Amino acid sequence: MFRYVLGRLPSAVVVLFLASLLIFSVMRLVPGDPALALAGPDATPESIEAIRHSLGLDQSIPAQYLSWIGDVLTLDLGRSFILGGQISDLVLAGLGNTAVLAGSALLLAVVLSLILSVAVVVWPKKWLTSVVNVLNTLSVALPNFVTGVLLVLVFAVLIPVLPSGGVPPGGYLARPDITLQYLVLPSLCLALPVTAALTRFLSEALRTEMAQQYVITAQAAGVTRWNLVTRSALRNALPTMLTVLGIQTGHLLGGAVLVEAIFAWPGIGQLIQQGIGRRDYPVVQVLLLLSVTIFVLIQLLTDIVHAYLDPRIRIGGR
Amino acid sequence: MNSSFPTAGLDRRAFFRGSAIAALAILGTGSLAACSSAVGEQRSDAGESVDPVRGGTLTLAIPDDVTPSALLTSTTIAGITISGLVFETLTRYPLDSVVPQPLLAKDWKLSDDGLTLTLNLRDDVTFHSGRPFTSADAEFSLRTYADPKFSAQLRSTAAAISGYDSSDPNKLVLTLAHRTGNIFDLLDLAPIFDSETFDKAVTGESFIGTGPFVFASRTPNSSISFDRNPNYWVAERPFLDRVEARIVPDSQARLTSLKSGQVALVAPGSLTFRDSQTVGKTDGFETTALDGAELQTYIGANVTAEGLTDVRTRKAVAYAIDRERIMSEVYRDAGYAVNLPWPKSSPAYDAAKNSTYARDVAKARALVSEVGTLPTIPLTYTGASPDFEAAAQIVQANLAEAGIRVELDPVEATIFFKQLIGAEFKGLWLTSHTFAQYIPSTLTVSAYPFNAAHNASKFSSPAYSAAADAAWQQPDGSSDAAKKLYADLSTQLLDELFLIEIGVVVQQVSAASTVRDLSWTKGRQPQFANTFLA
Repeated sequence: MFRYVLGRLPSAVVVLFLASLLIFSVMRLVPGDPALALAGPDATPESIEAIRHSLGLDQSIPAQYLSWIGDVLTLDLGRSFILGGQISDLVLAGLGNTAVLAGSALLLAVVLSLILSVAVVVWPKKWLTSVVNVLNTLSVALPNFVTGVLLVLVFAVLIPVLPSGGVPPGGYLARPDITLQYLVLPSLCLALPVTAALTRFLSEALRTEMAQQYVITAQAAGVTRWNLVTRSALRNALPTMLTVLGIQTGHLLGGAVLVEAIFAWPGIGQLIQQGIGRRDYPVVQVLLLLSVTIFVLIQLLTDIVHAYLDPRIRIGGR
Repeated sequence: MNSSFPTAGLDRRAFFRGSAIAALAILGTGSLAACSSAVGEQRSDAGESVDPVRGGTLTLAIPDDVTPSALLTSTTIAGITISGLVFETLTRYPLDSVVPQPLLAKDWKLSDDGLTLTLNLRDDVTFHSGRPFTSADAEFSLRTYADPKFSAQLRSTAAAISGYDSSDPNKLVLTLAHRTGNIFDLLDLAPIFDSETFDKAVTGESFIGTGPFVFASRTPNSSISFDRNPNYWVAERPFLDRVEARIVPDSQARLTSLKSGQVALVAPGSLTFRDSQTVGKTDGFETTALDGAELQTYIGANVTAEGLTDVRTRKAVAYAIDRERIMSEVYRDAGYAVNLPWPKSSPAYDAAKNSTYARDVAKARALVSEVGTLPTIPLTYTGASPDFEAAAQIVQANLAEAGIRVELDPVEATIFFKQLIGAEFKGLWLTSHTFAQYIPSTLTVSAYPFNAAHNASKFSSPAYSAAADAAWQQPDGSSDAAKKLYADLSTQLLDELFLIEIGVVVQQVSAASTVRDLSWTKGRQPQFANTFLA
């Protein structure tokens, strides 16, 4: 297992290096100038040049890259051009908020998809399958910015029972009941498409499993569908779900950018969005690289869990 | 046979129990609101009183976070909010005139030659740190304002101060290099910083001023909080205990935050005019116009671009634009059409001159015919702004009627500013400017589009420069003598038309009806010392 993990690491490092180059280049290719955002609309060209110099933007592009990547490797993320303050503090605060949102959305998606998938396989009624299919299709077809706005309009404006956005004023742990209310709408909005994808794959995997010879034999011996699904088929279908979950987690982080904007959730998505708009190069570079790193780690983790669950993979990987 | 299958797993009862718990957790969270509601707690500050009452937290939505190092350019609403709540200035204009009123300066005297301004300062003011405010702090603040690295808009006026005398802690004597008609604009706009903690303001760590509210905390990209200043020099003020500014970048989210009661106020200019109008007609909410703190929407012209070098083309544009339609459809009648930048409260306002280019498509067509064949002219604007998008489309249609083909060129705000400052527009551009609500000469010496020395239109004219300088150096900016000079300046603007004004736009602020006595400065900085929750 250790050798399997070790074998996966070099490709992850290469991906991260290439990603750092790509992110840095793309940011420099985007038209616009952070010095202008700082200088304001009535600045003179001389003031802008002075600001550009103070930000180190008058150096050559390779020199800027080497300086940045060197600092990142020593965990000195620098200061935000626009917001002031250490980027590490900004990232930690934003990452914490995004982790709470994405984590609760992921949990919600896993729980909902498990319930729905098991239900449609244990009770293969046509109406139940149709209802779940329609819900799945709607969840995938409606983009986050539509479901988000709809949820806010219904549950925050028309029937004002939940907050329309923001994070709990006193922090997450001070009042768990209040925290839960702040989390419901953004988590649900973010979880819906993930739930749909997981449900579709998991229910199909369960159905495939239920057609296996050992299941037919067990049914002939009088084992109930319930016991077969929950005690055997589900375990065998979980690797499929894990693979999809890994991919969906990446999509979920991408979706968080929109959901955070709709629900004024101060996570890394909002930070990236604002950073790009105002050309806050160091913040955006760090956040994009962090996103790639998280994605790479999730894929790595998925592979490891996959290998743990299915020995053929780790044996084949040697 | 069952024993051959794994036994560690869910049984049917556990599945149902788990599903029920999950369903309850998901769907029942709303019912928690009945006993402990996040929404209810947000609204708990509101009572029913209409008399000023002490206490409560005012929550407002702002679109962006502060850029601390750009605090003096006031380009973000967060920066303006901090400036208005935490800091004060030496003098303050009322909203309806440019006659300075005392604030941190009790009174003042301008010498007969207009070159020395003596300001007597209040002696009962302390910074939030507890340190007394002195003339040295005023000198530090004005010197900081003049520092080119901060790009403050009235830097040229601050730079005209050639000497400071702050030997008396309660008196500041300013020596001016030349007569400066807009010196009180500077004193109205330049925040007075605590010289000992200014470095922390630039990094965003702390903001120490003398204002009615004390900076309490800032969570970047999330919120900025302010507490009541218990030692404020105005007795019994402010009424509010706390102001909390929440950063809500999305316009639609700001609207729903207000409608759902999560915030009681949305900062001026943070909703579209259509949304502001709708909110104003909704029970429980009010939309107020910020008269005296106007913006001006205009079309700029690069006078060196092909097709725009001939002033007749620019005049054709001025005649062709349907200003009334733009003011009505885009700005929902929150303002009025003009040909010159000055709002009605300005000493330079001239109703007659404002009809110089009343819409006349036939005249526009005739001028285009005189000029001959014109190329397609790009019209650049900030695409993210629904107001500019709508205005640009109307302008395109108007100019097409006059025979001028326009290609819309929506760009990002950052790129737009780059083109504005770098004078890189390829043809026309559409945006708004401010500062016309101050002493008129401020516009021509400080606002970049109008700057006689260098501007985005690449326009230069000795006559315009002379008129701008003459107006600037008139000591009393609202005197009759000054008005004559402004008339000359207006004539130059109308004749040259490097900037074609569309209308004066009065910003709107939408709030819950429970928020009373809201006030702003001419620079749209919130003045919440008298604000209370009814």
